[in-house]
Amino acid sequence: MLDTTYNVETPEGIDLRARVAGPVPRILAFAVDVFYRTLILAALGIGLAFAKTAGMGIWLVCSFLLEWFYPVFFEVLRGGQTPGKKAFGLMVVNDNLTPISWGASIVRNLLRFADFLPFAYATGIIAMTLGRNFQRLGDLAAGTLVVYRDTEKVPMALPDAAPLPPPRDFKQQDQLALISLLERHEDLSEARQQELANLLEPITAKRDSAALEYLRSVGSWLLGGRG
Amino acid sequence: MQIKNLAVRARLRSPWESIDLGIALARKHWLPMFLVWLLPAALLLGALAWVFPGHPGWSMFAIWWLKPVFDRLPLFMISRALFGTPVSALAALKEFFKHNRTDWLAWITIRRLSATRSFDMPVTVLEQSKGSARSARLSVLHRKHSGAATWLTLTGIHLESFLLIAAFILIYLFIPEQVAANIDWAPLLRGETLALEWVSNVLCVLIMAAVAPFYIVSGFCLYIGRRIELEGWDIEIQFRDLAERHQRSLQASKSAAGRSSPLASVLLLCALACTTLAPAPQAQAESLENPQQAQQRIDEVLAGEDFHNIEQVSGWRLKDLGEEEQEKIPEWLIELFEWLFKWFTGDPPENEDSSEINWGALIAKPIELLLWIAVIAGLIYLGWRHREAILSSLRWQHTPKKKVEVPETLFGLDVRQSSLPDDVCAEVLRLWQAGEQRTGLGLLYRATLSHLIEDFHFHFGDHLTESECAQLVSRRHRTADDTLRPVSAPLSQFVQQLTGSWQQLAYAHRPPADPQVSELCQQWQEVFGNDH
Repeated sequence: MLDTTYNVETPEGIDLRARVAGPVPRILAFAVDVFYRTLILAALGIGLAFAKTAGMGIWLVCSFLLEWFYPVFFEVLRGGQTPGKKAFGLMVVNDNLTPISWGASIVRNLLRFADFLPFAYATGIIAMTLGRNFQRLGDLAAGTLVVYRDTEKVPMALPDAAPLPPPRDFKQQDQLALISLLERHEDLSEARQQELANLLEPITAKRDSAALEYLRSVGSWLLGGRG
Repeated sequence: MQIKNLAVRARLRSPWESIDLGIALARKHWLPMFLVWLLPAALLLGALAWVFPGHPGWSMFAIWWLKPVFDRLPLFMISRALFGTPVSALAALKEFFKHNRTDWLAWITIRRLSATRSFDMPVTVLEQSKGSARSARLSVLHRKHSGAATWLTLTGIHLESFLLIAAFILIYLFIPEQVAANIDWAPLLRGETLALEWVSNVLCVLIMAAVAPFYIVSGFCLYIGRRIELEGWDIEIQFRDLAERHQRSLQASKSAAGRSSPLASVLLLCALACTTLAPAPQAQAESLENPQQAQQRIDEVLAGEDFHNIEQVSGWRLKDLGEEEQEKIPEWLIELFEWLFKWFTGDPPENEDSSEINWGALIAKPIELLLWIAVIAGLIYLGWRHREAILSSLRWQHTPKKKVEVPETLFGLDVRQSSLPDDVCAEVLRLWQAGEQRTGLGLLYRATLSHLIEDFHFHFGDHLTESECAQLVSRRHRTADDTLRPVSAPLSQFVQQLTGSWQQLAYAHRPPADPQVSELCQQWQEVFGNDH
C-alpha cells in the first residue's frame, strides 16, 4: 500500500505517524518565503536609501542575515514553521518527529547551497522527488523532515441517531470507517451512503435506509453517545 | 475498476497530500511513463527537424502545444497500474490513437491553456465524458481541488524552465575554463546557431518527458483523492473487508462445527457424567440447537448492559503539584533571584518618590554585575589554568619530598666524604708543615663542609658564597629547629673562624699563623671527632 506517511516507533512502543510533505507544497511555501523576504528587503532598501554607502552596507548585511538565518529563526523559535510553511500547514521536525534543534536547523539551511546547484534548487528538487521521504540534501544531512501539521478538527453536526452498541467483532479500522461514514454524511450523497451500508448486509441483516440508520446509530455509539 | 485492488492507501487527503502521493506513485512507475511520453514526442521532433530544419523555435512550440496529446498514454498507464492491472509501455503505445480519440480537438485548442489540465484530463480519458456531462462532473470535482490543481500546473511550468536553465548551466560548468574563455558568444545572442538550438530542443523534450509523469500522476492523484472523498472509497474498502472477514469466520465456524461434532458429543457426554456426579451449582445451560444460535446468543449477551457499563466519576481532588515544584526550584535560588531583583531596582520606596527613572543607574547596574561576573569567571579560569600548581602546593605534605641532591663540589672543592682521608687533622698538619698551606687548609674546610652537609643536613646550594654558608650555620645555632640537628655554639664559632681563615688564604693569599692552624685542627677534632 503506497502512502506518504512516515512512521516512528518510540522506545515505549508507541507508533507515531506523520504525513511527509512533497516537493510541490514545499516549493510553493519557499516561494511565499522568498516573497516575504523580498518585501522586507525592498522596504529596508527604501528606508536605508538616505544613508548612501553606509545604508548599502547595512542593507547587504541584512540581506545576508535574512538569506541564511530567516529560516533558522522561524524553524527553531516558531515551531518549525517559516511564514511560507505556515501558509501551507507544513513544519520542519527531526526525523524522530521531535521539534527541530538549533544544530539541525543550521545544518539544513546552510546546505541550501548544495541544494541550489547548479541553478534554482535543481539538486534539491531532484533529491526531494526521488527520496523516500521527500528530503532534500540539507534534510538528509541534518536528519530532518518536512511534515504536515495536524489541523484541529472542528466540531461538526451529526445526524440524529439513537446510539446502539456495535457488533462484537468490529476492529478498530472498522469502527473508524463507521465513524467516517457518520461524519461525512453531508459530503456523501444519500444514495451512496445507502450503497455503502448495503455492503454490510451479511452482518447487519438490513438494507438501504434501515441499514444506514443502524450504522449511524452504531457510529454515534462509538463517538461516545449513550442513549 | 475494482476499488479493492487500489494500489495506494485510500484515506481522506488534503489536495496537497494527494499531489505528494502522485509524486510518490510517479516515482514508482516513472520509466515506462517517461518512455511512453518521450517516444511520440521524439518522433514528432525528428519529423519536424526533417521537414522544417530552419525553424527550431516553432518546432519546439508545436511539441509544447501538443502536450495534452502526449499526456494521455501515461495517464492511461498509471490508471491501470493504480488498480493492479499494469500495462506495458509497448502495449500502451499501440493504443496511442485509441486513447486520443475523445475530445482531441478541444484539448489542443480551447483547453490547451487550462490551468487544471492534469486534473481534468482523467475525466476525458478515463470517464470518456463529453459536453455537459463533463462540465457537470468538473464542477463537482473542482469545488475543493481546483486551487491546488492550478498551483500544480504553475509549479510544473516553472520547474520545467528552471530545470532547463539548470541543465544548461551544468553543461557550462563542465566546459574547461580555457575553452570557455575563447567561446564567441555573439552568434548565440544573434540566434545564428541552428544546430545548437536543435540540441537545446532535444534537451527540452527530454526534460518535459521527465517532468510529465510527475505532473500527470499528481493531477491524477488529485482526481482520485477527490473521488475518494466524494464516494467514500476508504469506507467502501473497509466495509468490503469487514463483510469478507465476517463471511470467512462464519464459514470457518460452520466447517469447524461440522468436523468436530462427534468429538464434541463425546466430550459433552464426559462432561455430563462429571457434572451429574458432582452437585451442579445451578447450571443455567439453555438448550441451544446449533452454533449459529449460540453465536447469536453470545452477541446478544455481549451487546447487553453487562458489557457496556460505563461509570463516570467526577469530583475534586488535590494534586500534589506543590511538592514537585518545590523540588524543582530550590529555596536558595529563589532567594538569590529576589536579592538580585532588589539589588537591581535599588530601594523601592525611594524610587517611587522620584518620578523620573534614573537611566544611568539602570544601565550601570547590569554592567557592574557583568563586570563582577567577568572577575569571578576570570578567577575561576585562573584557578583552573593553574590547578595543578595549586593542588600540589595544597597537598605538599602528602607528596614524598623530593630528595635533595647532595652537592659533590662546592667552590671548586670536592666535598664528598669519600674523598677525605681517614685522619683529617693529621693530614692537614702534615700538609701545613710540608708548606702546602692552601691544600692543607682547603682540606680542613672541605672536611668541615662535608660533615655539615652529611651529618647536619645543611643544603648548601651552588648560589651560596662561603660566608653565606657560615651564616646559615650560625642561624641554625640561634634558632633551634626540631626537625634538624641543632648546631652547638663551639661548632658555630669554629665554622666562623675557619671560614674567615680560608677566605683570607684563598682570596688574599694571607696564610694564618701556625698556632692558629693547629688550634683549628684541635677544634675540628672536638666538634666532629665524636662522630667517628
